[in-house]
Order: sequence, then C-alpha cells, then structure tokens
Amino acid sequence: MPETVLQVDDLKTYFFTEAGVVRAVDGVSFSLTKGKPLGLVGESGSGKTVTALSVLGVVPRPGKIVSGKILFEGENLLEKTENEMRGFRGKRIGYVSQDPNSSLDPLFTVGNQLSEVVTTHEKMSKEAAREKVVDLLRLVRIAEPETRMRAYPHELSGGMRQRIAIARALASEPDLLIADEPTTNLDVTIQAQVLELLRALQRELDMSLILITHDMGIIAEMAEEVVVLYAGRVAEVARTAEIFAAPRHPYTAALLQAVPRVDRKRPLVPIGGNIPNLITPPSGCRFHPRCAYMIDRCVSEIPPLEAIGGGREVSCHRWKELELRGSS
Amino acid sequence: MGSLLNYIIRRILFAIPVFLAVSIITFLVTNAAGDPVQIVRLGIRNLNPAQLKAIQDYFHVNEPLYTRYFLWLADLLRGNLGQSLYSGSVAGKVVPWIGSTLELQIPAVLLALAIGIPIGIYSAKRQYSKSDIAVTTTAIFGISMPTFWLGINAILIFSLYLRWLPSFGAISPYPPWWWGNIYTDQLAHIIMPLSVLTFVSLAAIVRLIRSSMLETLRQDFVLAARASGISDFKVTYKHALKNAVTPVVTVVGLTFGTLLGGAPALETTFGWPGLGYEFVLSATILDLPVVLGITMIISAMVLAANIVTDLVYALMDPRVRL
Amino acid sequence: MNSKETQYTRRSAGQWAVAWRRFKKNKAGLAGLAIVASFAVLAIYGLLLDPVPARSFGCLYQGCTNLPPFVDSAHPLGTENSGIDVWNEIIHGSAGDLYVGIGATLISVVIGLLVGAAAGYRSGVSGAVLLGLTQIFFVLPVLVIILLFAKIFLFLVAQGLALSLIVLTLGIFGWPLFAFIARGEILRIRELEFVQAAKSLGASGSRTLFRHIVPNLLSPIIVLSSLAVAANIITEVVISFLGFGDPTTSTWGLIIQEGFDHIDSSWWVAFFPGIAVVICVLGFNLLGDGLSDALNPRLRE
Ligand SMILES: Nc1ncnc2c1ncn2[C@@H]1O[C@H](COP(=O)(O)OP(=O)(O)O)[C@@H](O)[C@H]1O
Ligand code: SF4
Ligand SMILES: [Mg+2]
Repeated sequence: MPETVLQVDDLKTYFFTEAGVVRAVDGVSFSLTKGKPLGLVGESGSGKTVTALSVLGVVPRPGKIVSGKILFEGENLLEKTENEMRGFRGKRIGYVSQDPNSSLDPLFTVGNQLSEVVTTHEKMSKEAAREKVVDLLRLVRIAEPETRMRAYPHELSGGMRQRIAIARALASEPDLLIADEPTTNLDVTIQAQVLELLRALQRELDMSLILITHDMGIIAEMAEEVVVLYAGRVAEVARTAEIFAAPRHPYTAALLQAVPRVDRKRPLVPIGGNIPNLITPPSGCRFHPRCAYMIDRCVSEIPPLEAIGGGREVSCHRWKELELRGSS
Repeated sequence: MGSLLNYIIRRILFAIPVFLAVSIITFLVTNAAGDPVQIVRLGIRNLNPAQLKAIQDYFHVNEPLYTRYFLWLADLLRGNLGQSLYSGSVAGKVVPWIGSTLELQIPAVLLALAIGIPIGIYSAKRQYSKSDIAVTTTAIFGISMPTFWLGINAILIFSLYLRWLPSFGAISPYPPWWWGNIYTDQLAHIIMPLSVLTFVSLAAIVRLIRSSMLETLRQDFVLAARASGISDFKVTYKHALKNAVTPVVTVVGLTFGTLLGGAPALETTFGWPGLGYEFVLSATILDLPVVLGITMIISAMVLAANIVTDLVYALMDPRVRL
Repeated sequence: MNSKETQYTRRSAGQWAVAWRRFKKNKAGLAGLAIVASFAVLAIYGLLLDPVPARSFGCLYQGCTNLPPFVDSAHPLGTENSGIDVWNEIIHGSAGDLYVGIGATLISVVIGLLVGAAAGYRSGVSGAVLLGLTQIFFVLPVLVIILLFAKIFLFLVAQGLALSLIVLTLGIFGWPLFAFIARGEILRIRELEFVQAAKSLGASGSRTLFRHIVPNLLSPIIVLSSLAVAANIITEVVISFLGFGDPTTSTWGLIIQEGFDHIDSSWWVAFFPGIAVVICVLGFNLLGDGLSDALNPRLRE
C-alpha cells in the first residue's frame, strides 16, 4: 500500500464578497501518493489556485475555508494555529505561484529574497545562508549564481524568474511541491525547459508534486494521476494514461478535444460557453448548461463523486452509458 | 555611483525648461492686465518718485514686452530680485522668510510621514474594522478642512479661551517670554501652526499610504512570500511596506508643492513671518518686486523638492533607470 | 453595424447600472450625495426665494450687531460686527461657492478634454509636450499665481465680475490633470479591438469618439471632477480669506475673513461658515470616493 502524503477531504473555500458568496471550492476531495506527480486540471476559474492556497493556509481575504479536512502526512492542517502552519508553509510544502513576473518582490534582490526564506526555516549565519542560496540557484540550473544573486527581478527573464521562484519553493527541501501554472506566462521554448526542470527535480529530490494547469498537454507529459476540477468541484479522478484513453466525464472529454496536437489533423474543439458564476452556480451538475449529454436529472440532482474501480472516480449521472472519445 | 550623479544632472537639466516655463507664466500673469507700472500707480496713492523709479527699473519700462521678460529673467538669474518699493533689496529681505517657512514646512512633512505611515499601514491591515473606519473618517475630514480654518479654531481654543499658547508670530517681540526663556518662547509659538499643518498633511498621507498598502497587499509577491513561510510581520513590514511607501514618495514631493502653496493662508492666520505671510502683505500693498520674487522662490523650492523626491524614489526603486 | 459594437454598448450600459447599484450600497458615498444635494437646495433657495438679500446690513439699524448664536431665532447663528446675519451669509455663500467650485471645474474639464483629445489623437510629440505642461502645472505654486493674478486684475474688473474672474482663473489653472487622464484613456481605448474594427468599417472619427471614447472617459472624469470641485471650493475660501477675493459677492471665504478680523470678540462669525465649508467639501470628497469605488471596484471586497 503506497503512502499518502496529502489527503483533501470535502474542502469548501468561499469568498464572502459584496456581491455575494463565491463558492470557489465547493466540496473538493482528492489524495496524493507520496513521491508522485499529480495533475490538477481545469479551465481558468475552476478553483485550482484557491485549492492550493487552502492547502497552504493563505487564502486571501475575503476568502475563508468553510469546512473540510486537509491531511498532510496524517496531520489536519485546518486545526493548526497560524504559528504551527509556518512549520509547513515553505518548509514542508513548497509553492510556486502562477505568474513569475509578479511573484517576486521587485524592490529586493533575488539573493536577499532567497536568503530570507532560507533563514526563516533554519537558523544559520549570513555566510551559510549565502552558500545555501548559491546551491539552490545551482539546483535550478542557473549559471553564475553569484552574479544572479545581486540582480533585481526586473533584470531577469521570465524563465529565469520562474526558476528563482522554484528555488525559493525548494529552499528547505519540502516533501510536497505545488506548482501553480508554472509555465502559463512563459514563452513556449522556455515552458519546455521549466517543465523539464520540474520533472527532473521531482525525481532527484523524491518529492511529491501537484502540478496545476489548464493544459491537458502538460498533464500528459508530467502527471501520473489527474484530478479534473470544474467550477469548484471534482469532475473526475484517474491515472493519466487512462483518462486520455477513456475519459468518463463529459467535461474531461471536452478538455481533451481542446488540446492542440501536432500528430493529428483533428480540428480543435473549444468548449462552448463559460465557466459559471460561482455565486449562484447551476443546480444539480454544475456542468449541465454546457454538457452535450445533459438530461433532466442533471438539473435537479447533484452527481456524487463515485469510485468506479481501478482507482478511478467520476461525478456524472451518466458515466456508465456514455461512450466518450479519448485522445489516443 | 557615477550613474547616480548622471541621474541627478539629467534631472536638473529637465528642471530648467520647467523653471523657465514657470517664469514665463509668472511674468505673463503680471503683465496680463496691462503695464504693471500703471497698476502700481493706480493702486498706490501718493507713489513717491523713488518708488516709481524702483518699479520702472524693475520692469525695464520703455522696452517691448519680450525684451522686458528677458531682462527680468536675467536679473533674476543673477540673484538680483530688485528693490522693494518700501525698503531694502528684495534678495536681502527674503532670506529670513525662507528660513522661517522651511522651519514650519519641513518638520510638518517629516512628522506627518513618521506618524502617517504606521497609521496608514495599521488601517490597511485592518480594512473595514472599527479602527480603520475611525482613521479613514478622521482623514477625510482632515482633507476637507481649509488648513487656516483649523488654525483659527486652534487659536480660538488654545489662545483665546484657554490662553495656553500665543496666537501670533514666531517669537514674542519683547519679554516676558512664554514659559521662561527665549527658546521656550519660540517653542510655544511654533506648536500650534506646526500641529495644524502636520494634522492636515497627515490626513493626506494616511489616505495615500492606506490605499497604496491595500493595493500592495493584494499583489502576488505578498502571497508568494507568505506561502514560502515568511512571517506575516516580515511580509508586512519589509516587503509590503517598502512597496507601498515607494510610490507615495513621489506624491509627497507633489504634496510639498501644495503645502507651500498653502503657506500664505496658514502663515497669515498665525502671523508667521515666512514667505507666505510676506507674500500676502506685499501683495496687499502692491510691492510687486517682492511678490514676484517670492513667487519665483517658492517655485524653485517646489522644483527642488521634486528633484529630491525623485532622487529618493530612484534610490528606493531599482526599476528606475539611473 | 457589427455585433461586437452592440455587445460592447450594451455591456457598458450594464456597467453603469452595476456601478449605480454598488454606489447605492456605499453609505459614505450616499452621505456625500445627500450633502451635495442639500447645499444645492440651499443655494437655489438663496438665489430665488430668500427674502433677506445677501450681505444685508439691515440689522445695523435695529441694534442687533455682534449677536451671539442661539439667542435670537431671527439670527440663529448670530450676526457680525456690522449686522450681517451669519446664517444668511451661509445660505448665499453656498450659491457663491458652488458657482466657483462647479464653474471652475467645468472650465477645467472642457479645456482638459480638448487638449487631452488633441494629444491623444496625435500621439508622439504632442504627448510629450502635454506631459511637460502637466509637470509645469504641478510645480507651479498655482495658488500663489492665482493670488497674484487676482490681485492684479481686481483693479480693472467691475466689482460684480470679480467672482467670475476667479472662476475663470481657477478653471484655467485646473485643466492639466484632466488632460492627462483624457489622453491616457483615449490612447488606451483607441487600441482596443472594437474601435479598430469600427474604424476599419469606415466609422468616422467623431462617431468613434462619441460612441466609444466618451462613455469610457466619463468614469474617471466624473470621479476627478467631484474631487476638483472640493479643491476649488477650498481655494476660493483661501483666496477670499486672504482678502484677494470679490468683496461684494457672498462667499464663505469672505465671511470667514470678516470673522477672523473680530475673532476675539465674535468667534461664531468665522466658525459657522467654516463648518459649512468643511461639510460641503466633505460632501464632494465623499461623493468622489464613493464614485471611485463604484466605478472602479478593484479595491472593495
Ligand atoms: N480574492 C477573491 N475574491 C473573490 N473571488 C475570488 C477571489 N479569488 C478567487 N476567487 C474566485 O474563485 C474562483 C476560482 O478561482 P481560482 O482558484 O483562481 O481559479 P483557477 O486557479 O482555477 O483559475 C473564481 O471564480 C474566482 O472568481
Ligand atoms: S451529470 Fe449530466 S450534465 Fe453533468 S456531466 Fe454528467 S451528463 Fe453532463
Ligand atoms: Mg489559478
């Protein structure tokens, strides 16, 4: 029985805004096997970032974790005090945020920001911290670390900044790394390099990895398991190969149709419609307004997340009867 | 450091056309209603020949308008600010006024920053809490109040009713001194105008810092820093603080201009012998050389303050290309 | 024309409705609106209905000069040294100060929009010139210049016109910020796809301007105007207080100045009109803040 490093159970994180309660994450459950890369996929706005921030306990105002459990190595993070949480954040769980262009403080040098994190997690001398920072920069394959340390973020390229952000997340050799769309804001060539780096690091350091993305292509390359989120709920969970071969949820199938592929001349099919407003989400299955297979029951009844064997889970009333097309 | 010097020089070079433009506007305003000499004649009954000569010399009568401007500018740049119509050279008279204005303005700005930054941050961190609402309410009242009117109320309460503080001037003209000696006397005189000026600037600065801080706390890097385990205290007082204050620095430079612009009313209220009060007195008696001299000096001071703040900004923000 | 345009126009109408709904929930903004409306009512009453003319010395002959407040219901806020009724001056002063505040702002907006539009449509050199001009106006001690201007001109102007002269001066010196904002917005909007599309379909320049650019410019200009009115009122009060204003037309600054001359005998003459200034300016500031929150919701939760 492989060890579970993270287990999220019926997590609900809402934003209490002037316009109403935004149910950004509304009953999300999944678990992550130690040392494995897991993909968290969904369109923009489906609640991926909020899920990650909930795990780290840094949901910004006016957001609040309303209920659920987040078990990290058996400990429920939602019962931890702010002080105790700082023993997890950055120390045992690293986080690389979405946009490398804004995730570093523009007014301090890269070296300053890295050594700040290093010394936060471990008391050490200035000199030792400096060496540690150099090592970290080497770890993320940055040439001439001594020079780069003295640079300000705006003096570096986007790819370089993202490497620095990754170095910061790795500062105290975390057990789990959460990378939130680490390549979305980068050039295509740089994207490949950063992904390659993440994959290599995950193996080298024997970390568990949650890779957040909206791109099924990246999932195919990077993840062993996939959790598909839609509008704050889990649509489907499966191993990567299986989900590409035979998706069980119409939303997953639609996502797969939307992946551009070089090897095939099939036209790209974008998903029609938009992600629903999460203040007053659609009743029943949240995907029903956009689903080609919608029946009356989908409007009235919430489909539960059912285990369907082989470690797969799906939340669709019609998963048994539908013959959905995969991408291979 | 070479690049810093370069930046300073460039900044000063940029200030030159601005200063010239200000001088043109000032000169045009003075001449817009016709020949200023005629206006002085109209305004001052019993203008004596010496006064007439002083004003004629100052404006270089008998020359066409643009020549007059250049002659006036040349005088100005040589430090020759002309003769007051009443007594003495303008350049000799204004120096102590400058000192006395700065004695009020600089401590007010520094105090307002020292008090305003922590209050603004506190308020932003507790957005919509009771203390935040109290702060924002006080601040919006503060910016809605003419400075001098607040000064009048202070005089009513502390001078006329309680008789704790003097209401006029920077020092008593003769003993008895307030609270014992000549130094405490000066202290007693500066307390009220300084507090009033500080309060009003404070209101503006608190509002600026608060909104800048709210903006900063929303930035990705604040979240990223928190997510990497850095304490909330350090995130707030190292990262967010520096990022929130930096843009405010520039605004403070501009506010300094507004503050100096407010000097006439404030100094008049307290009879404070600075540039503003003397401007009002001289304008009332149409002593145009003094009035124009003060106007140009205040402009130059605002310009200098702008250069200084730009410099501070450049030192604080590495993104500014030196 | 094309669907993009109709979609856009519809959405922008929706935006105004959303903004209004958001504004209605903002207590401070509503209070500002109520204050501004009350002063408008007061001003209209003073201009059209008030039986006591402005700056009436009638009291002088009835022996009720220098009357303290709250003792005589005919003069609720007391009277001044020469018998002028303070409350009546506050009423007539609201007309004077709203005239200065709003009139000067309108002039600034018109000049600012024209200059900004010119600079926005011919980006490049004129943009740099405008930037430089704005800088100059930031450095210029505007209040001092205005005082100088008022002093020099007041000699030559018929007395009743002096207040209008101040309106004009404030207006002329207040436009650069509007021009700056207008230019920025125009440059931004011009680049937007739908405007480009409309243009390529042959929409005329003025049509683009009025269908697309004006509606978008409106929100920053409205916010800024409200704050500018507040600032202009304060400036008027300062000008009059220093004795550079129009001594024949009622304004709050004028009565405050008269009160300051007799501050040790009759405090109420400077005090109550000052309260009127604070409340009125506060009203415009609250309104401006509220509008800015409603039209630019980023800072609210
Ligand atoms: N600060 C916030 N205030 C209000 N709503 C928010 C906030 N942050 C996120 N949300 C809402 O939460 C939902 C999920 O957002 P997010 O997790 O960022 O999506 P994703 O990362 O999948 O693109 C969105 O609908 C968004 O509107
Ligand atoms: S439950 Fe119904 S609407 Fe939802 S995905 Fe399945 S078929 Fe579509
Ligand atoms: Mg996201």
